[in-house]
Amino acid sequence: MPHDASASESALIRDETRRRWSLALPALTVITLLSIAPLAVMVAYSFMQAGQYAGVEPGFSLDGWRAVFFERDFFDDSLIPATAHLSILGRSIALALATTALTFVFGIPTAWFIATRPQSSRGFWMFLITVPFWTNLLVRTIAIQEVIRADGTLNRILLATGIIDEPLQMMFTNGAVLVGMTYVYLPLMVLPVYAAIEKFDFRLSEAAYDLYASRLYCLRRVVLPLMWPGIIAGSILVFIPALGAYVTPRLMGGGRAMMWGNLIDLQFGQGRNWPLGAALSITLTLVVLGALIWYARRAAKGDQANG
Amino acid sequence: MLDIRSLSKKFGSGARAFHALKSIDITIEEGEFFTLLGPSGCGKTTLLRLIAGFEQPSGGQLVLDGKDIAMIPPNHRPVNTVFQSYALFPHMTVAQNVAFGLEARGTNPAEIAPRVDEILEIVQMAHLRDRKSSQMSGGQQQRVALARALAPRPRILLLDEPLSALDLKLRKQMQVELKRLQRELGLTFIFVTHDQDEALTMSDRIAVMEGGTLQQVASPRALYDHPANRFVAEFIGEANFLPGTIVDDKLILAGCPPAPLPRDTKGGGPVTIMIRPEQVVVGAAAEKAITLDGRIEALVFSGTDTHVSLRLQNGGTLSLRAPNTSHAATPLTEGQSLTVSLPIDALRVLPEETADAA
Repeated sequence: MPHDASASESALIRDETRRRWSLALPALTVITLLSIAPLAVMVAYSFMQAGQYAGVEPGFSLDGWRAVFFERDFFDDSLIPATAHLSILGRSIALALATTALTFVFGIPTAWFIATRPQSSRGFWMFLITVPFWTNLLVRTIAIQEVIRADGTLNRILLATGIIDEPLQMMFTNGAVLVGMTYVYLPLMVLPVYAAIEKFDFRLSEAAYDLYASRLYCLRRVVLPLMWPGIIAGSILVFIPALGAYVTPRLMGGGRAMMWGNLIDLQFGQGRNWPLGAALSITLTLVVLGALIWYARRAAKGDQANG
Repeated sequence: MLDIRSLSKKFGSGARAFHALKSIDITIEEGEFFTLLGPSGCGKTTLLRLIAGFEQPSGGQLVLDGKDIAMIPPNHRPVNTVFQSYALFPHMTVAQNVAFGLEARGTNPAEIAPRVDEILEIVQMAHLRDRKSSQMSGGQQQRVALARALAPRPRILLLDEPLSALDLKLRKQMQVELKRLQRELGLTFIFVTHDQDEALTMSDRIAVMEGGTLQQVASPRALYDHPANRFVAEFIGEANFLPGTIVDDKLILAGCPPAPLPRDTKGGGPVTIMIRPEQVVVGAAAEKAITLDGRIEALVFSGTDTHVSLRLQNGGTLSLRAPNTSHAATPLTEGQSLTVSLPIDALRVLPEETADAA
């Protein structure tokens, strides 16, 4: 009898397990098809041989990955480090960090302003934040070009008022890319920070003032720690797409201020080196993953220290 | 110690301005448990916020220890607040919350830890010093909020309806503890509440407020026995009001012979007579009382006595308490006629209400 009981019990558990899996199946399918499969294709391509005109040919090869880090010397064919790639990666990270910092500087006051409006008018201000999304990114970027190019609005105003004697070269510089990306990614910083400020209980800052805290001390000890999750979410939302940005650096930076995204594009287009393009993509993914893991570890440690 | 001199506060300006406080004058003594009592919107919380420094007065002075502090920001005033919502910092532990005021003030770090330990011991929260506020019950949060406000040794502790979020049993317990704590520390407390029981139990003196004005400032006993006006009489305890007239130093109630005036009463013309239900005596009294006849409308048994609602022959109503002694001659029944008497010295003559004192 006990044997039978345990047999039927394990059958029950088996049925239950099967039922749960079948319920999770639609979600698992979507995740596999849309997220894991493309990534797997990229990993696979990075280890294949480049096709003659484009695409890949069957056969294992490490050429793609080798090309990420090394290049053949033009004269003696020996392997030398691919410094061009390194400098592009360096510029991408630097520009993405600078973009994050700038969206932070502009985003915090914006979010603060909106969150401290009366409830009735907040919707209107949030609506204004979303207006830029209605226009195509390309059109908006070209509009910025119009402002800062050699005979653009800004230069004409500066020339007319006599502040400068000859047009400033602003296009195709790192600065131009930075301006463009800050403009494009600003809403991604504003939205999560706004959510954090809106949740903030201003009676807490009143309590801090009551307990002899100056405004700065209150900001440091009470306001910022409670807004931290929103700031982190905003920074991640800005940093990751900025690191892989393609349209803005292409239009604002041209061939001089290239970013990692443009380098990848180059391999799949003119370069006709798909394995290298795939390997460059995976490299970017690994850099982002590494940064996130580093942050998560640090945050966990910080929590322990505070707790 | 704290002199509140013609303090006023208005919000907004022009025709739409709202006068939250209209020229308040109070002197609060050192070591006093002082309560601001009134219905919501009476201005008691505004007054507390002015003392804390969260609002600036539109006029008047706040003199603490001889110095006008009305325009000094809250972080430079030696007063601390226990907030209605407690407003504990959610990302800090109990001990960190309590240490906040000391740290913000720049107290010598070596002195902070012992002070935090000491104050947590006083409010009996030492065992939870490493908890976060989100992991505590309302009563525990209340104690931490109290400890946090006490830690920097304020000159005055302000308490903004601190017990309103607690259940009845805990509230009663905290009333006793707060009072004990205030006595032991010898600290001046200014306590805001809309609960008259709470005010009567704990306070040395109570300021009754209504519509931004001060109605009366007195000890609980004096407020109950000698209310200054109808509002105070009604707000504190239960009261009967009867219309009357004073003519030639005689008190005349409708349908009664003229009676002598209660002690210390002057004036003439129409007045309002107030008497507490428990002062009304069942049966006719021989001397120094007004006798009234009526019919019992409702009886509510409440243990030690029975609440009687009497419809008077002259048209008014009167509530009274009939003691439930076992040797009572005959139990009262609804619809029965009853004679009661109002002892002259239990009567209070209140000024006739004018439309608006302001």
